[in-house]
Amino acid sequence: MRHGLNWRSGGEMTMSTLTTNRTIRDILLSPTDIPVMSARTLVKEALELMSAKRLGLACVIDDDGKLIGLFTDGDLRRLLLKSQKPISALFADDIITHARTEFTSVDRNMDIEEALKLLQDREIFDLPVLDENGRLEGVIHLHPALKELLEK
Amino acid sequence: MKSKIINVGGGDVAEIKIGGCEPLVFLGGPCAIESRVHALEMCQRIGEICDRLNIPWVYKSCYDKDSRSAVTSFHGVGIEEGLDILAEIRQSQKVPVVCDFSDANLANQTAQVVDFLQIPAYLCRQTHILTAAGKTGQPIHLKKGQFMSPWNMKNSVRKIEATGNEQILLTDRGTFFGYNMLINDYRNFPIMMETGYPVCFDATHSVQLPTSMGNVSGGQREFIPYLVRAAVGCGINALFMEVHDNPDEALSDANTQLNIRYLENILSQAKATHETRLELAERWGDDNVHVND
Repeated sequence: MRHGLNWRSGGEMTMSTLTTNRTIRDILLSPTDIPVMSARTLVKEALELMSAKRLGLACVIDDDGKLIGLFTDGDLRRLLLKSQKPISALFADDIITHARTEFTSVDRNMDIEEALKLLQDREIFDLPVLDENGRLEGVIHLHPALKELLEK
Repeated sequence: MKSKIINVGGGDVAEIKIGGCEPLVFLGGPCAIESRVHALEMCQRIGEICDRLNIPWVYKSCYDKDSRSAVTSFHGVGIEEGLDILAEIRQSQKVPVVCDFSDANLANQTAQVVDFLQIPAYLCRQTHILTAAGKTGQPIHLKKGQFMSPWNMKNSVRKIEATGNEQILLTDRGTFFGYNMLINDYRNFPIMMETGYPVCFDATHSVQLPTSMGNVSGGQREFIPYLVRAAVGCGINALFMEVHDNPDEALSDANTQLNIRYLENILSQAKATHETRLELAERWGDDNVHVND
């Protein structure tokens, strides 16, 4: 099965070849490696955390660790074009004010191939991974996922 | 936007609810406690007006005026005498009292007497002051500094919340517009309401011209009625005004305190405006013009 994503180096390798028998838990970025924050984190603090963790995805969780919002680099771009507030006011907003509260998520047992297809179909770079109670277990991010696949 | 409701007083004195769809609350009295006799008389006279208009109210007066322009200005009767007078007012008039403090070490002593602890605008971001106030457990009347943006008041709110105290009233008292001049930006009300706490308008300090007279502040009290009607129409939960029977002879803020002979007129209009505002909110719902429209 081809998904339009090919890698050529000494021979053609398809996604199916790369992902055989592997689930996304093999490429999961753990919560300590990604920008995770509470709803009342200020936008300015959220951006700092996203920069520090080098990931354009802020994961907003509640006191129980449940994922309640996502805020991406793209959301920031659209926000800057839309908002007429002074930047100092925007910085002081709670991140949850601007986070999207409806989002696609996956569970850790999904096949890598299926997850990558989801990323491709939706033209996104990240997918949050939740446990059965909605708690954040981590994120799969396209680039580390590809790196992991290509190095093995 | 409906705020949470905070509770002031109760027990020996009237219990006042501020916020939500509760009636407009008046916070008022002379800027400084000038004497026992004067404080009691002012409380009685203001109380009679509020009773007549059926307006819930809190008596305001301070024992220490620490931000006077000149070192020679009246500094207040001091904490011991001041708190004794406020305690007597509570006892005799059954009205809750609000009073500010300017030193974190005085928070507990002040809170043992007063029902509502006020943070002066100039000190609104001082962590020691805010923390000390929050720890007393009393509701906090937090004034927005003239130099502060309304959105940055959230930082001060969170300093108080960090003590576990979530009884806060946020007040606008004008914003610096160059030197010796204040302006009222009514966007401050909805922005501060985003914290979820009730908001208040301080009409008399808003017309102040800070230290415009060398070593004394001036003021244009003729604008008070206009500003009050507009602020109440914006949906404030409480109105603050300093009231005096002879402002020209007042020992502090002589140029901004409202002569008590105008109080009934202004409060009547404020009450009617607030009731109309609540009816409109009931009929039309929250303001709903969105940034995308």
